[in-house]
Amino acid sequence: MGLKRYTARRIAWAGVVAGVILTITFVLLDLAPDAQLAQVQFQAAASGGSAEAAAEAYARRRGLEGPLWERYLDYLGNLATGDWGWSDTRSQPVSEAILTALPYSLMYTVPAVVASTVLGVAIGLYSAFNQYTKTDYAATFVAFFGISVPNFWFGIVLLLVFAVHLGWVPVLFDAELARTRPFSLANARQLVLPVFVLGTSAIAGTMRYTRAEALEYVRATFVKTARAKGVSERRILTRHVLRPTLVPLSTILVGDLLGVVLSASYLVEVVFGIPGLGRLSLEAIRRQDTALVLGTTLVPVFVAVIGNLLQDLAYAVLDPRIDYGDR
Amino acid sequence: MAGDDVLSDGSEGGRPDEPRERFEDVDWDAIDADGRRLTNTGLAAVAAGIGYALALAYDLAVAGGDPTLDAAVDVPWRSAPATVVWDATAVDWLFAATLLAGGFALVPLARNRRLRGYYWRRFRRHTPAVIGLWYLLAIFLLGTVGTLFIDQPSLNLAATYQPPIFASVDASIPAECVGPVVDGRCHGTWKYPLGTTGEGKGLLALAIFGMRVSMQVGLIATSLSIAIATLVGTTAAYAGGWVDEALMRYVDVQQTFPTFFLFLFLAYLYGGSLFVLVVIFGVTGWGGIARIVRSEALQRREELYVEAARASGASGLSIVRRHVVPNVSNSIVTAATLNIPFLVLSEAALSFIGLGDVTLPSWGQTIAAGRGDLATAWWISTVPGLFLFATILAFNFLGDALRDALDPRQEV
Repeated sequence: MGLKRYTARRIAWAGVVAGVILTITFVLLDLAPDAQLAQVQFQAAASGGSAEAAAEAYARRRGLEGPLWERYLDYLGNLATGDWGWSDTRSQPVSEAILTALPYSLMYTVPAVVASTVLGVAIGLYSAFNQYTKTDYAATFVAFFGISVPNFWFGIVLLLVFAVHLGWVPVLFDAELARTRPFSLANARQLVLPVFVLGTSAIAGTMRYTRAEALEYVRATFVKTARAKGVSERRILTRHVLRPTLVPLSTILVGDLLGVVLSASYLVEVVFGIPGLGRLSLEAIRRQDTALVLGTTLVPVFVAVIGNLLQDLAYAVLDPRIDYGDR
Repeated sequence: MAGDDVLSDGSEGGRPDEPRERFEDVDWDAIDADGRRLTNTGLAAVAAGIGYALALAYDLAVAGGDPTLDAAVDVPWRSAPATVVWDATAVDWLFAATLLAGGFALVPLARNRRLRGYYWRRFRRHTPAVIGLWYLLAIFLLGTVGTLFIDQPSLNLAATYQPPIFASVDASIPAECVGPVVDGRCHGTWKYPLGTTGEGKGLLALAIFGMRVSMQVGLIATSLSIAIATLVGTTAAYAGGWVDEALMRYVDVQQTFPTFFLFLFLAYLYGGSLFVLVVIFGVTGWGGIARIVRSEALQRREELYVEAARASGASGLSIVRRHVVPNVSNSIVTAATLNIPFLVLSEAALSFIGLGDVTLPSWGQTIAAGRGDLATAWWISTVPGLFLFATILAFNFLGDALRDALDPRQEV
């Protein structure tokens, strides 16, 4: 099977996954008790009206009448055409609310991902070349720290030390500043801690994988041959070890890093008060704005579906050993 | 945990006085008798199961809404006997079942002295993991047994914002200082060794009750996941064909949904009581373990002992139960140990953002409660976070050492 057919099959499968996930969320939404409906009924009953009539009016307003399959098709059609519903609490379309929040999230996730990837690969390579030295153990400890520390708590502790006690960075995030002058020094100062917290949780995986992958090549015969021929250590590092290491790493990075970054950023935003996607989602949860909760949950889902697709394609393109036959 | 060889089983368990016709002959009577005879462990398991069922029936039918256990117990450090009032919840029952199942799963290992010594020697090389194990044992005992003897912390306006012992804070911050006031600074007392919250709840007691919540979430949900993952993984590997394809494709879909957001979405829709959280974690978080079980089981089913069992007429079910599952249990234990810290962290994160069980003193909830007082009372958010961090770190060290001790093939 050629690469083209493989690609087509992967894309089709990604479409199926997206469809299945959307169907599952629809069923979950349909089965869940509706807090707003209960509230509407309670209000109607309290003011002497009929709870049933109120429920019917509510259902009509929310487009909840009609047979299940019709609502299901509507739901799929709306999502596909970019109509993600109306946010009651923010009085704006869900897609608009998400687009407003997105830049704030990107502002600190992009630097954190870039920094943790570069540093993680560098430290991992160093560990592999200096296995079982003190530096290697220190790096392993940093990795364990990064995996284990609850990032929301870590953020709070850092805020306590660097903002409350030392006063080096502002306690409250200034969204106006971030919006008007995103590339100013003042904005960089208030983004240092979120980038650091997100980076520590993202760097651990990269570091461990790079170390494990590079270790396979450090003792490979082709590296020994290169060394015997008098190739410099630097060239061995960049040409003979880094290159084959990057192939599996590039694929791990997409899938695993996305998961870590998506969930970590949610809590980081809550702690630092950054009005990004995570905060938007949390506000929606607190105010029972189901349309917005669904929208903000589906964004990471779609990012993950596309990330997995790119991961598989990258693997097939970069690694000639991959057999297209399976999956 | 090498596979039992049915052929040698037959010759050992068979009657030596009856001479065999030929080597290949299998003494089916001996094997049948061996299979039906109830061992002491089996007897204990049945007794425990019956006891559990009776107690559960009592709680459901007789006790009903009343507390399950209401007894006076003499505690040495109190003048009056403490009354133990314990209304067992659904989570408590699940927790008891988990501990029973886990205990009986460990019996074969505990009996085999050689194997136990071998694993312990390999495990002991990892000092952080050994320390982690003791720490987790302490947390576990405090959370399960310790919580029976202390009262759940309650609102106490006379003891708000007390600093931890050996620390001091400006005397204007607590409403009343329980400890000594020196030079206008309120010092901590042994009454509240780790300080109190803005509601006057002792942080030590809160932390101990938090241990129970974390242990319950981590252990129950993981054992649910193990059960589902083992079932799905071995079925997929053993049945093969379209069953394998369908099951693994489903796991693909489930794995694509970012786990944290799945938890978040479900907790939002169905409420975040501890029981619901445990079920959500257990029922949706088994994909990774199932994949490991499947790939391991695929290798095991090609082994000679499985072929030998099949050749001697063992059914598919008994091959899976007696040969495949015991031989993939190493990988299951490792994967499960590394699954627990993720669930503990997820529970803390969900209660931190207010989606958890508000009636239970979870660590995440206490961390959230202290956020508003960071400038004045730093200890409220930091203390429970330290416990959370140490617990997750200990489980990660433990999982890593177990992988090294039990599972040398799975090098990462």
